Amino acid sequence: MTATAMRDAWYPVGLLSDLQAEGKETLLLGEPITVFGFETSGPKVECNGRSLPVFARFGHLWTSLGSPNKDLFTIPEADHPDRTLVDVGVVRVKCSPLRAVENFLDVAHFPFVHTDILGAESHPEVSEYKVEIRDDVDEVWATKVEFFQPQAAKSAGGGITTEYMYRVPAPTCSVLYKTCPPRPREWDVIALFVQPLTEDLCDVWPWMALFDDESSTTELIHFQQLIFLQDRSILENQIPKRLPLDPAMETPTRADLTSIAYRRWLKRHNYTFGAQLVAG
Amino acid sequence: MKLYDYVLSPSCYKVRLLGSLLDVPLELLPVDFHPGREHKMPELLALNPAGSIPILVDEHLVLTESAAILAYLAAHHGPNWLAVNDPAAIGQQQQWLAFSHRLTRALGGARLVEMLHFDGDLATLQVDGVTALRELEAALFAKRLHGSTFIAGDTPTIADIACFPYVALAPDGSISLDPYPSIRIWMRAIRALPGFIEMPGIHRLHELAPDPFTEASK
Amino acid sequence: MVAETDARWVPVAVSADIPDGTVVPARLPTGPIAVWRSDSGRIYANGDRCPHRGMRLSHGFVRGESLSCIYHGWRFGSDGACQKIPAHPAVVPPKTINCGALPAIEALGIVWAAVQTPTEAPPDFESYEAVRSLVIAATPDAVARACDAELNADTIKTQCDGHDVVLLVTATVPEEVFVIVLVDKKLNLSDRIAFSTGLEALRRTAEAKGYAA
Repeated sequence: MTATAMRDAWYPVGLLSDLQAEGKETLLLGEPITVFGFETSGPKVECNGRSLPVFARFGHLWTSLGSPNKDLFTIPEADHPDRTLVDVGVVRVKCSPLRAVENFLDVAHFPFVHTDILGAESHPEVSEYKVEIRDDVDEVWATKVEFFQPQAAKSAGGGITTEYMYRVPAPTCSVLYKTCPPRPREWDVIALFVQPLTEDLCDVWPWMALFDDESSTTELIHFQQLIFLQDRSILENQIPKRLPLDPAMETPTRADLTSIAYRRWLKRHNYTFGAQLVAG
Repeated sequence: MKLYDYVLSPSCYKVRLLGSLLDVPLELLPVDFHPGREHKMPELLALNPAGSIPILVDEHLVLTESAAILAYLAAHHGPNWLAVNDPAAIGQQQQWLAFSHRLTRALGGARLVEMLHFDGDLATLQVDGVTALRELEAALFAKRLHGSTFIAGDTPTIADIACFPYVALAPDGSISLDPYPSIRIWMRAIRALPGFIEMPGIHRLHELAPDPFTEASK
Repeated sequence: MVAETDARWVPVAVSADIPDGTVVPARLPTGPIAVWRSDSGRIYANGDRCPHRGMRLSHGFVRGESLSCIYHGWRFGSDGACQKIPAHPAVVPPKTINCGALPAIEALGIVWAAVQTPTEAPPDFESYEAVRSLVIAATPDAVARACDAELNADTIKTQCDGHDVVLLVTATVPEEVFVIVLVDKKLNLSDRIAFSTGLEALRRTAEAKGYAA
């Protein structure tokens, strides 16, 4: 069953810099779509002969199978002219689109999956942080998430305690704000835009808006691909493939408050494409 | 020595890995392979008309085949990793170096289709990949009966390094490694070598590091 | 209620394929399991799923007498109980967090596991020992036919390369079987290698198109 609530949300379907006039076939929520890029008339997305709404933002083309009741979210912090905007490129993952987002919201795996980069086994503790569902904007937010990191960013020289904020503005998108080593008063922005192909297959489009005068764009892309591909081998080996929304299926702890809020928010909105509702 | 490198390329990783195992400093020059396709741009094509990476540049020497780069690094810095005098050992090493190209084509091909949207006949690549893995498993099983873990000879050689990355990353192309116990033991032996480094998708052996909780209670 | 098939020893791995301090994936008819050997050499089995976020524990690592999940490092003891949650080092994990320890024993160079502890010992093949396991993409019947022998209680007794062998055949997923091969303990090294090559030929026959029909 397709969860109809998710049809009205926006999803990334391609890099604006890499759209083809001849069209590229792909899937969205299990339905075949074709993504076209035309030099004069701009991009276009079709589903079974029907034209879908399109939106260009954050270096990506976005579309929706339904009728979105609001514009795609914004990331005002990313607008600063000094930032380097980085299209990281697509990676396909054989997992639920919701599992991909949940993994992105988690810091407790850093010492084991991103060892000696985003975490160290000697510093695994996740201290208390704040999580809320902000009803005015209808987004999940986690703030004051602090974690010790041996190499927090390409621009980080050595180990630092990094502060994170996480935000879920759409069912398959997450934005994280983290301590920016070269500019202590600003936040680096790293986003994970997930295109749900089927309930257990997704295309992930990471995107970044960073302050980094030292590294080349290629180095920044490599760093983010390195991190994300370390996650991929985890995401493809979780059982069940779909994200369980039945609390009896998995065992969260205090460190998982963001994930708990995300799952609750998904359930509240009936965002269940890629979810497993009852223990199977 | 300069290495034109891509963090997700198993062939580039072969060179980084042997460099680390032999303690050879490599200056890494990152290439925007995906999504930028920089390896197909004029500057890199001038260096390597095949349009592939890795590319190793050591003063006037340019090498663009990973097996050749491994042989070059070993000849300079790790003679034990290279078969030179024994004809049978030379033959075996060449056999498995050539075999590694089958792994690249089949397992690597499936990986590019499944992970990075490349074109290819996935089912055929997977069948060829399984055939190659079975051949490797049978060979490593025979080696185990002889009391050795590595693919050519009794100690690790460049043949092991040439075969290891694409095998370890087979699941990226939706090819399971579960049915291959001798491959598992062999991969573990490589991951346990002093100086081993990871690449994304190949995790380190956490158990080799001291247990932080036992350490803390001491 | 315990199903009859649950209280039965199933051959899940060759003992020599699980060195000290390692974990491997295996299967029971009920689903995937993780089989691991502690640093002191003891063999254990449990569900292949961390109760925290569902990660396969066969991807994890063994330290001392416990198994850890690769995802968040949750550590489980031989009884399946969670001993440590690294994100909360000061917390003693509640006893309810358990990865589901399963009965496991070793005999004939084979690791046997079960869902419920069986009352009987695993079958004995006296002078035989396990040498190799392999997966064949075929039905148990097709494997028996390729051996030109009968399938009897998941066991095929046949000859391979002129030597008596015993094949223990476990159907795991549809159209795929896990086979453990036993040979005479006295079989010498070169015969074992020749025999392993023979197994590859047997697999090709069993998997050949139309063979199952």
